[in-house]
Amino acid sequence: MSHRHLPVGWTAAKRAYDLVLLAGVVGYILAFLHLGPLLQDPGRALDGQSLAIKAYGSCAFLLLTAALAIGPLARLDRRFLPLLYNRRHLGVVTFLVALSHAAEVLGWHFAFSPTPPLVAMLSSEPPPGAAPGLPFVPLGVAALLILFALAATSHDFWLAFLTPPTWKALHMAVYPAYALVVAHVALGALQAATTPVLALMLLGSAGSLLALHIAAALHDRHAVPAVERGWIAVGRADAVPEGRALVVHPPEGDPVAVFRHEGRLSAVSHLCAHQNGPLGEGRIVDGCITCPWHGYQYRPEDGCSPPPFTERVATYNLRLDGPMLLLDPRPNPLGTRVEPLAVPA
Amino acid sequence: MPPWLAEMLLSLVAGYAWAGLAVGCAFLLFGLDRVDPLARGAYAFRPLLLPGLALLWPLVLWRWAGLRRPAPPRGPARAAQRRRHLLAWGTLAVVLPAIGIAAAALRAGRPDAPPERLGPAPR
Repeated sequence: MSHRHLPVGWTAAKRAYDLVLLAGVVGYILAFLHLGPLLQDPGRALDGQSLAIKAYGSCAFLLLTAALAIGPLARLDRRFLPLLYNRRHLGVVTFLVALSHAAEVLGWHFAFSPTPPLVAMLSSEPPPGAAPGLPFVPLGVAALLILFALAATSHDFWLAFLTPPTWKALHMAVYPAYALVVAHVALGALQAATTPVLALMLLGSAGSLLALHIAAALHDRHAVPAVERGWIAVGRADAVPEGRALVVHPPEGDPVAVFRHEGRLSAVSHLCAHQNGPLGEGRIVDGCITCPWHGYQYRPEDGCSPPPFTERVATYNLRLDGPMLLLDPRPNPLGTRVEPLAVPA
Repeated sequence: MPPWLAEMLLSLVAGYAWAGLAVGCAFLLFGLDRVDPLARGAYAFRPLLLPGLALLWPLVLWRWAGLRRPAPPRGPARAAQRRRHLLAWGTLAVVLPAIGIAAAALRAGRPDAPPERLGPAPR
């Protein structure tokens, strides 16, 4: 959280993340450019610029695959959560590498003529059926434009300016972008590939992503808690650890986090108002529920961020039935104060 | 597409981008503080917003003119989000293999003429 917008909210973890990311990208491209000529068939050797095109293109594809894999990986194993926190940096770097690929293509395949390169690129594809294959350059251009839109709106300012639902809907465009990139490679470079490496990379990446998402969806299925007269049985009240939460998944609606602070229980939405981070996996710090993703904080009794911040999450009502804790799954209006429930530890 | 159409399209895009840059710069200097309280006194991050402002400048103008207020904050609709992600990945699970099959079919239909050697093989 910050009083004001910053270019990047640097932390030691972010610096490490970005250093590893940049080192990986630079290392991959240098290795491709230097090892590629050694591994090629001498009879089909590629010139330097064609190698650069393939280096940037394959790097961008692998980065996009990694960006999409992080979500399900984090749901399957919490150790991948740090990769999720700074995924926007990965997205921006992916766009920059893809832009480099496009620049190399324009400077090689669409240059050396009086026609401006961009005009040549847009007017060079034959109509479908007029030549073998299908137009694949427009697919790459469309994917690049989507990645540009996502990178350009990745700062927190846009999350507030567009509102979270609109921002999230915009960033769902990463999925059609991925399909466009796969089609661009499959209908383009793959058609002229002389080894199975590219096909294996494409198949392996796309197949891994699909498998990861299926595994994460199966992993996320939760046991439905018992419901009695509208109240949900959370479990024993003394099972909620001090300073931490139990997360409840009602049959309908959003998940709820039940926190214990100084021996008293409060229930708030499990989803952070910032970017839907898992509040229930956070801790109470300085009397506030603290989101593990970006540190956004909320008071447990009313779900409001401490001043001067204005974020809010919904609160929920709790009651005791003997030792059992019951939750009303209907959220209160944002900002509603609910007196914390005193229970024995 | 024919070259004249490509040139016209690029001119339109360039015009949109220049208008976006102009609106973006004006917004950063005069409008941002009014629209976003967290931007008051913060200047280092503003250049990062220019590409997005140039892309979305009609919406930026609309908000700046006060013609549209952001929707009041509401609880996140987790179930709706999960359904959207499920739909996206369900669609990809069909589309990606279809692309692969189309690519393989195109490749299989292409005559594989062996390259003609024009000179002695390199050592």
